[in-house]
Amino acid sequence: MLSTTRHDATPAPSLSAVGRALPPHYASQEQLIAALRDLWATRHFNLERLEDLHRNVQVGGRHLALPLEQYPALATFQQRNDAWIRVATDLSETVARQALERAGLTPKDVDHVFFVTVTGIATPSVDARLVNRMGFRDDVKRTPIFGLGCVAGAAGLARASDYLRAFPKQTALLIATELCSLTLQREDLSIPNIIASGLFGDGAACVVLRGAEASGATGPRVVGSRSVFYPDTERVMGWDVVDTGFKVVLSAKVPQLVKDHIRGNVDGFLAEHGLTRKDVRHWVAHTGGPKVLEGFESALELEAGALERSWNSLRQVGNLSSASVLFVLGETLEEAGAKPGDWGVVMAMGPGFCAEMVLVRW
Amino acid sequence: MADTVTEAMAEIRRIAREELEFEGGVEPSHDLLRDLHLDSLGLTVLAVGLENRFRVLLSEEDAQGVRTVEDLARLVATRVEARATASEAGTHP
Repeated sequence: MLSTTRHDATPAPSLSAVGRALPPHYASQEQLIAALRDLWATRHFNLERLEDLHRNVQVGGRHLALPLEQYPALATFQQRNDAWIRVATDLSETVARQALERAGLTPKDVDHVFFVTVTGIATPSVDARLVNRMGFRDDVKRTPIFGLGCVAGAAGLARASDYLRAFPKQTALLIATELCSLTLQREDLSIPNIIASGLFGDGAACVVLRGAEASGATGPRVVGSRSVFYPDTERVMGWDVVDTGFKVVLSAKVPQLVKDHIRGNVDGFLAEHGLTRKDVRHWVAHTGGPKVLEGFESALELEAGALERSWNSLRQVGNLSSASVLFVLGETLEEAGAKPGDWGVVMAMGPGFCAEMVLVRW
Repeated sequence: MADTVTEAMAEIRRIAREELEFEGGVEPSHDLLRDLHLDSLGLTVLAVGLENRFRVLLSEEDAQGVRTVEDLARLVATRVEARATASEAGTHP
């Protein structure tokens, strides 16, 4: 099931700037293991096996929304979500201001704010709170998107780009804010939850996208995008919503889905634009985990180092869900030394199960 | 030993049903990978569940000779027996 947005006839919006921020409370993987070990021991016998699961995800540490010692007191969904609203709003403001400054714009220049998350809920949504805090115009349009999970970074780029093709003089923000640590269910001592507690971190990113006719628009262009839905894979990844919040659903089938499908998906998408994998110089991959990144590398036959930024991001800060791919995108825009004419592919996968690919040209 | 094998079989069935959302029947001859469709995460969930229930350690090396549900139940029973023997001898396995 494929859905392609191909807009050769419509002007391509540009990715002008990316803001990124991590919360200040850092904990190394060993500190996190030490903090969780007593909890695991209440139910599990072989703690070394659980420690190995945490180490096998190859994450060095995570930035946390709150100081580590404050997490045990978060017993209810309300406590977790109240903390989420407070920190998510702060972090979102930080990245939005940073991205706008890098693009040489102010909040008054923004016509549409897309806000994606899967780790907390708020009504009014975080984007509405930012309108008050940051002074966006009172006619700013807002699209809060909940539930796309890890794919929302790439899918958000695609949807914001779709919008800007219809309104090419306008400017949009995509804000992805995820505080995965605040979803941790301490009472859920299942193996998927223990793996999730070792893999996922907190962070936020904001992309400034500008329509092709917006004055002074710079940066690589979003040439097209493709959504891919994998039927009957609902239990591969997601949340079971329980009284205490979001209980993770995580299957080991994710790497296999990558290996089975991503090559055909990418090749088909590129072919519609007259391209092959050899034409792509910059791969911006969601940092799903070591097996997901290895799956991308082997399925797409990528050269060594092609996903180095994704690997580094995973090791340094963990999987930031929707924000991850935007962190890698930001580093690519600022450091890759891309030349005019270079092609790039932004790709991510998430609950559904599904994938999103975005074709970018410098 | 036979009782422990039976108990381990029952625990494997419980884990498959309750934790792995496996809807079919689980028979001793079933292949863990081919019939129960267990992936690496599923195998870990199964191993951890058995370790917790029977207070034994199952290692990577142990897994080498394990192919079927019955192989796994017998391995658990062997570990339980070894622990009991070590306990009687005043040593730790």
